Amino acid sequence: MTTASASAAMRKVSLAGIMGNRGALWAAVILMLLLLLVPVALPGYQTLFRTILMYVALAYGWNTIGGYTGYVSFGNVTFFGLGAYCSALLSAHGVNNLFADVALAVVVNAAFAALVGLPILRLKGHYFGIATLGVALAITDIVGNLDAFGGTGGLALKTVDEAHFSIYYYAAWLVTAGAIGATFLVARSKLGYAFVALRENEEAAAVLGIAPTRYKIVAWAISAAIAGAAGAVFAPANGFVDPSIAFAEDANVFPIVMTILGGIGTVAGPFIGAIILSGVNELLARWFIKVHTLFFGAVIVAVVLLLPRGLVWLFGLRGGARTWLKSLAAYKA
Amino acid sequence: MKLRPMAALGLVALCAALTAPSVPVAAAGDTIVFGSAVSLTGSLTKEGHLTQEGYDFWKSYVNAHGGLKVGGKSYKVDIKYYDDESKAATAASLAERLIDQDHVNFILGPYGSGTAFTVAQMVERKKIPMVEGNGAAEKIFSQGFKYTFAVLSPAPRYLEGILDVAHSQKPAAQSVAITAASDPFSQEVAAGAAAWATAHGMKVVYNNKYPENATDVSSIVSAVKAANPDVILNAGHLQDALLVHKGLKEQNVQARAYGYSVGPDTPDFTGSLGKDANFVFGGAQWSDAVKYRADRPGFYATAKEYAKAFDAVYHHRPDYHDAESTATCLAFQYALQDAGSLDPDKVRDALAKLDVTTFYGILKFDSRGMNVYKPMVTNQIQNGKLVTVWPRGLAEAKVEYPTPPWGQR
Amino acid sequence: MHLLAQDLVNGILAGGILAVVALGFSLVWGIMNIINLAHGAFVMLGAYVTWQLFSSFHVDPFLSLPVSFAVLFTLGYLIQRFLINWVARAPVLTTFLLTFGLSLLVVNVALLIWTGDTKGVTTAYSGTNFTVAGVTVPWAKLYTLLAALLITGVMQLWLTRSKTGRAIRATAMDIGAAQLSGVRVAHIYAIVFGLGAGLAGVAGTLISLSYSLNPSMGQPFLIKAFVVCVLGGLGSVEGALVGGLTYGIVEAFASQIDVTIGTQHISGTGLQDAVALVVLLIVLIVRPRGIMGRATA
Repeated sequence: MTTASASAAMRKVSLAGIMGNRGALWAAVILMLLLLLVPVALPGYQTLFRTILMYVALAYGWNTIGGYTGYVSFGNVTFFGLGAYCSALLSAHGVNNLFADVALAVVVNAAFAALVGLPILRLKGHYFGIATLGVALAITDIVGNLDAFGGTGGLALKTVDEAHFSIYYYAAWLVTAGAIGATFLVARSKLGYAFVALRENEEAAAVLGIAPTRYKIVAWAISAAIAGAAGAVFAPANGFVDPSIAFAEDANVFPIVMTILGGIGTVAGPFIGAIILSGVNELLARWFIKVHTLFFGAVIVAVVLLLPRGLVWLFGLRGGARTWLKSLAAYKA
Repeated sequence: MKLRPMAALGLVALCAALTAPSVPVAAAGDTIVFGSAVSLTGSLTKEGHLTQEGYDFWKSYVNAHGGLKVGGKSYKVDIKYYDDESKAATAASLAERLIDQDHVNFILGPYGSGTAFTVAQMVERKKIPMVEGNGAAEKIFSQGFKYTFAVLSPAPRYLEGILDVAHSQKPAAQSVAITAASDPFSQEVAAGAAAWATAHGMKVVYNNKYPENATDVSSIVSAVKAANPDVILNAGHLQDALLVHKGLKEQNVQARAYGYSVGPDTPDFTGSLGKDANFVFGGAQWSDAVKYRADRPGFYATAKEYAKAFDAVYHHRPDYHDAESTATCLAFQYALQDAGSLDPDKVRDALAKLDVTTFYGILKFDSRGMNVYKPMVTNQIQNGKLVTVWPRGLAEAKVEYPTPPWGQR
Repeated sequence: MHLLAQDLVNGILAGGILAVVALGFSLVWGIMNIINLAHGAFVMLGAYVTWQLFSSFHVDPFLSLPVSFAVLFTLGYLIQRFLINWVARAPVLTTFLLTFGLSLLVVNVALLIWTGDTKGVTTAYSGTNFTVAGVTVPWAKLYTLLAALLITGVMQLWLTRSKTGRAIRATAMDIGAAQLSGVRVAHIYAIVFGLGAGLAGVAGTLISLSYSLNPSMGQPFLIKAFVVCVLGGLGSVEGALVGGLTYGIVEAFASQIDVTIGTQHISGTGLQDAVALVVLLIVLIVRPRGIMGRATA
């Protein structure tokens, strides 16, 4: 097979994989635009939707490394947390500017990811995953022991008053839109194909001239920059950062869960997953105060069993219930 | 049946359900609604449960006695709860939901200092008063918040009583080792104890922290043993208190007194440790031995009456978490009466001026919103029973000191 | 000097428990490629089985070992057969998500059954100890370590010598070839998952002796299992043991660190995890497949 036809074939395969499908993509775009109206139309739901947006951004950040290149990271919360601390430290030094927060977080996290990535991105598969988890846990501990970071007592940030509070929402929206836009652009660019090529077959990709380490580091740096930006806009809105908030397990696990549930390695998947999962979680928490987590677990189990490839595929289904049931048999051992 | 349109429809329905106005808790007008995010699942389930008991007990009392009279009108009270899953970050959006969607009048605090901090930020912004009884870290109150009040004594005071007891007994304790969990509350408790010890001429021979969800503390126990202290103190939570105490026995670490900031008060402590729990001291915000007499009507006047009525409902003796949670509600009760209005700002001002003695002790806030006027008490487990031994005026029994060797307790 | 020897003993005793926690997790991951996030919940169930037997029928915790193994094995077998098997051919992260959901389910069902109250298993020998050359060793933890070593040994023998054990290893190496030679893969998978759960149950029993019980107790152990099984080398019995002991010892020695730089006090006890994790990273950089890992998967 010549190089040209190989890449053409790869292009064909991965387009479907990367883009998910048009229906889901449109749903995501429309929802995203609607979300812009929240501060005006539903001012009392800002924190809820800001949190959802934060998870969407984190899910996209994770998808870049975990979905596209197939390097499953269990430690992206490191970047979210460091991003949050960037804002907190700036605030402690009298700088309360969201642009400065995001800029610092993006630079610091991309650099940190590249630095850490150099050794650990050589690891394969699960070993990489655990190394990232190790980095996250170690950083959590270290930050909690540094006086400059406020130790476990944390740092308080200066927060704007209620009248201007929606700037945090719009900031989160912008970061999320940026994350989706970046994913979309990357997915359509040579970079995106290189990522997918690495995921499908690292050796073959290397033969095609894709330098694995360099591309993996770029993917992880993008991933880290997105997560860092999400953390940078979360911290001032929350007004307080400590290790248990900045490096929260939820911020680590939920984006992964949302991406897989939505449809891994697709443009619309993380968005759909994050919206539906957060929405369901919220409704359950409202309706069943004591047993909502139990039901939440049951919902996840049910979705996995009924839609093993993610919610995105529901939007792409052509046939009716029978076709779908038939397709399920394919996943059984 | 085509699935694609169904999927789209489902998504729309979900969004609609999310933004649907929630059903009002009760018909507005004759009910005062309090909102609270407590830990009903996750690692702080037990503590969250106690908090809820304390709140609910007050609610039933008030509603059974004709409700609250505010500005010449009688109101029923109701409490809207959400589960913060023992996570500080979750509590903020729950507080917003309570205020903006459920339109609660006031906020009752969550359990834990980190969570209380996050919620304090939210109520400050929304200008809705919160009284809390389960977040003692002073850090919350150094931020200049105007709408957050705490009925409990600040964290640094938790272990002072135990040191005072051990220091004044014979043979007097001269040295202390302190182990503390890494969370902000425990760190403040440890710092307070170390400061007290130094100020009173005791030597701090060991003072170190361990990670919040440690699964093994044996190395710290070894280091404590090597330091050979007269008093061993732990600032932490129930789970680590048990881990440390079991570890001390496993390595045969003998001290004259053992004290814990949180743990000995809950029946779980004695239940898990059996005889080894004897002689252990615990710092407490309150015990049913306190001898305050309420100076205003409207609730049980003494700790004994409160404890008896509480036991009849929940079938266990109220511990200080229960009492401080009930006291949280009482602060609102009297502030509402003083304000004569449900207006958040008027109630806030009334809270700031509040000066009332209840079964729980004095409720009065300094300029930061902390209740520095109420002393702590110190309890000791004697023969499987929790008794108050300090301050001396409240002692139900003589202090048992020094602690006999392991195996003879 | 005494303190260092004591820390070495502390580390080994703690590491033995971690090894058992990691063993089941590592087998399921290494052999079936399933990252079982419900493993911590299984550990918790094992502890509660022991507590229930102890408090209701005064059964000694060590005698309840086979019971918690059997109960959890059955649960694991059924979960694999009737839930996970449905998506066995889906990508690995799909089962990851499934076990995440399962973990939430199990923990919250436990919360309904046993409430959030903290419970403990205190036996007559709890906390009893002996001292050798200035080093104190608690009996219960020593028994626990011996049990851990015994279980690891039996597992290793069973996997290498028994027919089922060989079938398991064959399946792990080449599922297609195993199928061709008559191995019932669905059954083998269910056995492995059951084994993983059973070992988690055993670990829970052993933990109940030194740790206290509540429904969310499994989480910190799950996170340690992740690290330990990779530290030693995924999917191998000896890897879990070496990983567990290494982790335990490193943590114990880390508690000795006590430095002050300027105003910044660095205490090893607060950084135990961080030190152990830095060791993990160094190990992985030097040996990308763990201490005992081989070149091939």
